[in-house]
Amino acid sequence: MNALNEIYEQHTRRAFLERSTLGLGAFALGSLLSAANEKRRNAVSGLVGLPHFTPKVKRVIYLFQSGGPSQMDLFDYKPHLASRYGEEVPESIYPAERKTTMTSGQKSFRCAPSILKFAQHGQSGVWVSEPQKHLAQVVDDICVIKSMYTEAINHDPAATLFQTGSVNPGRPSMGAWVSYGLGSENSNLPAFVAMTSNGRAKAGQPLYDRLWGAGFLPGRFQGVKFRGQGDPILDLYNPAGVTRAQRRRMLDSLNKLNEEQAGRFNDPAISTRIAQYELAFRMQMSVPELIDVKSEPKHMLEMYGPDAAVPGRYAYNCLLARRLAERGVRFIQLYHRGWDAHGNAPKQVSTQCDGTDQPTAALLRDLKQRGMLDDTLVIWGGEFGRTIYCQGKLTAQNYGRDHHPNCFAYWVAGGGVRKGMTYGETDDYSVNVTENPVHVHDLQATIMHQLGIDHERLTYRYQGRYFRLTDVHGKVVRDILG
Amino acid sequence: MSRLPIIIACVFVEFLPLKAAPLNFSQDIRPILSDSCYNCHGPDKKARKAKLRLDDRSAAMESGVFSDGEMMARLTSNDPEMRMPPPDSNRVLSDEDRSKLVQWLKTGAEWPQDDRHWAFVPPVQPKIPEFQSKWEGNEIDAFILRRLKKEQLTPSTEADKATLIRRVTFDLTGLPPTIQETLAFINDRSPKAYDKVVDRLLASARYGEHMALGWLEASRYADTDGYQNDRLRYMWVWRDWLIKALNDNMPFDRFVTEQMAGDLLTDRNFFTQVATGFNRNHRINSEGGSIPAEWIVEYVADRVETMGTMFLGLTLTCSRCHDHKYDPIAQKDFYRLFAFFNNIAEAGLGPNNGNSPPFVTVPKSWPDLSDEEAKFVVPEPVKIKVVQTSVPRPQSGAPNTVMVLHELNQPRDTYLLNRGQYDQPDKSEKLQPATPPILGTWKNNWPRNRLGLAQWLMDSKHPLTARVTVNRMWQHHFGLGLVKTSENFGVQGEHPTHPELLDWLATEFIRQKWDLKAMHKLIVTSATYRQTSVIKPELLNRDPENRLLARGPRKRLTPYAIRDTALFTSGLLNGQIGGPSVKPYMPPGIWKSISNAAYKQDKGARLYRRSMYTYWRRTIPPPTMMTFNAAEREVCIVRKDLTTTPLQALVLMNNKTFVEAARFLAERALRLRITEPHKRLEWVFHTVLSRNPTQDELEVLVADLNLYLNDFTKRPEDAKKLLMVGDKKVDANLSASELAAYALVISTIFNLDEAITQN
Repeated sequence: MNALNEIYEQHTRRAFLERSTLGLGAFALGSLLSAANEKRRNAVSGLVGLPHFTPKVKRVIYLFQSGGPSQMDLFDYKPHLASRYGEEVPESIYPAERKTTMTSGQKSFRCAPSILKFAQHGQSGVWVSEPQKHLAQVVDDICVIKSMYTEAINHDPAATLFQTGSVNPGRPSMGAWVSYGLGSENSNLPAFVAMTSNGRAKAGQPLYDRLWGAGFLPGRFQGVKFRGQGDPILDLYNPAGVTRAQRRRMLDSLNKLNEEQAGRFNDPAISTRIAQYELAFRMQMSVPELIDVKSEPKHMLEMYGPDAAVPGRYAYNCLLARRLAERGVRFIQLYHRGWDAHGNAPKQVSTQCDGTDQPTAALLRDLKQRGMLDDTLVIWGGEFGRTIYCQGKLTAQNYGRDHHPNCFAYWVAGGGVRKGMTYGETDDYSVNVTENPVHVHDLQATIMHQLGIDHERLTYRYQGRYFRLTDVHGKVVRDILG
Repeated sequence: MSRLPIIIACVFVEFLPLKAAPLNFSQDIRPILSDSCYNCHGPDKKARKAKLRLDDRSAAMESGVFSDGEMMARLTSNDPEMRMPPPDSNRVLSDEDRSKLVQWLKTGAEWPQDDRHWAFVPPVQPKIPEFQSKWEGNEIDAFILRRLKKEQLTPSTEADKATLIRRVTFDLTGLPPTIQETLAFINDRSPKAYDKVVDRLLASARYGEHMALGWLEASRYADTDGYQNDRLRYMWVWRDWLIKALNDNMPFDRFVTEQMAGDLLTDRNFFTQVATGFNRNHRINSEGGSIPAEWIVEYVADRVETMGTMFLGLTLTCSRCHDHKYDPIAQKDFYRLFAFFNNIAEAGLGPNNGNSPPFVTVPKSWPDLSDEEAKFVVPEPVKIKVVQTSVPRPQSGAPNTVMVLHELNQPRDTYLLNRGQYDQPDKSEKLQPATPPILGTWKNNWPRNRLGLAQWLMDSKHPLTARVTVNRMWQHHFGLGLVKTSENFGVQGEHPTHPELLDWLATEFIRQKWDLKAMHKLIVTSATYRQTSVIKPELLNRDPENRLLARGPRKRLTPYAIRDTALFTSGLLNGQIGGPSVKPYMPPGIWKSISNAAYKQDKGARLYRRSMYTYWRRTIPPPTMMTFNAAEREVCIVRKDLTTTPLQALVLMNNKTFVEAARFLAERALRLRITEPHKRLEWVFHTVLSRNPTQDELEVLVADLNLYLNDFTKRPEDAKKLLMVGDKKVDANLSASELAAYALVISTIFNLDEAITQN
């Protein structure tokens, strides 16, 4: 078969499968194709014409910090604010209508400067607060964005906006868009994996399946949830008492009977189902190997910290993220709960860092040592920031902080992103962005850009409209790209 | 007119008629203009470029672009400055569509005077094509056959009886037929045998349950509020009402009117009041800190969106922030519809668990209410209590309440909201309730409230309601609607494959006094529906989606039917109808892992209820249902893509429900009077698949059985482990190794493509 025919046939085959809604999709189109086609798998399993341009990274690891980490207790250092301790934050700075009803009824809005110590680190001199000891050591590898902002003021809409580009449900998540556009790199694992962990201080705000859902995209593009309890993927393991040999036997019979059925009805859907059973069988083998973190050398487990081998913990998920990245999973989404510090903010932030700082830094180090940081984009941040004014009682040792959408901090690291940089500026109170604002949609556009996707051109027609991740907004933040 | 060159990019993907028909403006040209041009040259005046609009006939004609060569030049130029759509606009105009436009311009750019989009013109009963052969069973077939002839195709033969009864039993009840039912049908030689089956199924209480499912998904029914902590609510009484209304075959106009305005009817009562729960199924935000005014807007907008999708097949939400980009629905039209729903005596923030007002208390005797209990009840008004420092929460309705609609004495003012934002009302004009002008006139005797709105929807001259509804019925039976985009009948929606059939069905529905069961019967007794679903090789390429219906439908079961079938065929199913939701098996920590709530699984018979009663937590919906493409129940969904993934294989092979069902069916097989393994397996096979196995199939299964029996005899502890799966106690009188071996073979049968498919 000549090359042209081959491409044509792959194209038509994919197109046909797509159109007849029987596609194999992001999971494993590769599995249907012969080994000779392996190299072209991307082009085959992703959309034709994608990536739009040469990508800077092959994959994304998004460490979502759910609850709204406090920017002024972590990255947005305001040394001059200490002198304003206890003063009323003027309404000219903080307008009443931007306050949630949890604090809008408060009689006073006293200024609560961070009591956590800050220092400059690395050659770049990026300011980092004390609880982030490990991150401080790798700060030359990251780019801190101090000027993120959003419109949403409550957890649910704000997190949904970050993950799907809209505050309303029903849209595909970022990972789903990526797996729809680019397809899979691995024929034994899904293209998009989601993992969750609970906060150390408090379990934290709930998460929702829609954050890694497929929305209106076909269901196969949704993130596959790796679980910390029971089977790592739902129903992965054979029932007790059933051996792998028996399962193989069952699949052989199943294939035989299904093929007879396919012969009777001529329906390609049956062949698709046969292929998916084979993929399920391979996943039963590949996932236990994948999650066997105990096979990692001792020093590696130590680097990620004491929770590295405890399923469901943030450290374990970070280590798993690297193992997934190694195996070609394209979009790895972690969610860590517990950042919603309405009261006891300094303590809560510190305790959260105890559980996350070391594994996060370890992940960056680990990727770098393996040369993978160059083609991986790592993102850290939550759904919004927190108020400079105190929620509840203010003391010299304690304060609480309400939700704050107007400015907050993120950091990004890896392929194509400038290192040791601090981007954007906020006002004296860390209330508003004063320089280089970065909206949620801008960050999304930038993530897509690094993957070789023009966020305006990756669209999906639904209800007669061409939807995209960034709605009708979003500008790539070129300033932070190298 | 000269023939168009047919550009076949790919014979697999595009269904193309054999002969190119002359270009028709509404069918061939406007969809292209809409898709490629309206974004900048359409109804939205704020987005309009170069003052050119191509959605309005006279404006387009006056602009002169058709005749002065400008449009032709812009279509054919390769100069990026000149070419339309601009290369940087992200609008794609395929070569094929471009040449269609060129052809249209060349032949005089004909644009008929009455250029209304087809779906906005009220349907008129078309003439039924003359019956041409014995094949046609009813009027539907006359339309289908005419089109097939035009395409030079022939219909397929009728499916065999076993296949047919399985197909229709699934479609009308969501469950397979029993062996007795299948055999009785096969042995009934009377010409009315099939009609008798259909009548029996339509009379079955299972009919109402199964038909309720699509309505539950579309009306985003759930047991929780859907935001953040996802607090629980109690709406099952409304679900009971729904099942009963469908089983009673309540005329569809009454069915809709009670749900839209059961509180405003002159003959209102407790039941019609419960029916209005339909418009309270939307999500309600109870997150502390939420701004109440913001969320009331969301609830009202959700009602408009749901009404738009379910009854009008229109994407009204597009007009929430600006004039619709494609359809003639102005932003003001949206807020005039909004005004109908903006007078509910509700709170912006939900309570911490429980129903949000307005709600009514359900008598203990539900659904058998006394005359006194069946009277309309005035709900208690909203009582706000401020908790924490300032979170304003309403009173919470207890488990014996259900949420309903109730009007405020003093209606809220409605204004257009700039960009759809609650805090940006355009106070220059107060908007009164009204319907979009393009969708027909408003009769003066209709009240300007939800009751009037329901009368408008169900008016026999309404262009959309009947069409949209029969199209969804068609989708239910054939997998795809006559209009594939069942959620969008607007300009950007797909044209019907059989426009006259659609109009005939719509007008017939009205003529039959909105009789749902009669319409279902009409469809399933058609010869079209009864064809075999075997795909002839030439059809596979020609019409892979079966849009022309030269064969019968072949489709995967719904997620609900997949689980229900395992329970039903195994004998585990608890057939109780209605009542509160139940909590069957879930994976460990299903809620706890990502939320602050814990799932407390039910015990005993409640584990085996039909899947429609499974507790629906919106933010963490039941995973087995989601794996098989259920709607999330967050917003109105009337169509889901069915995709095949390895996760589905894992569920059917390993999920507790399916493993337990296989074992339980094995127990029944071993208790049969027959003892030969192949006969037992024959019985199992027929129970699950409604047909006898072939010799080959049986040989495969018997060989497996022997092998597994050998395995488990050697490893009796493994047999015991397998039998321990599930709460149902094992029959200790049966041999464990034999039982385990049968269970594995039955699991194989449960996993067959055929087991989750309607052939």
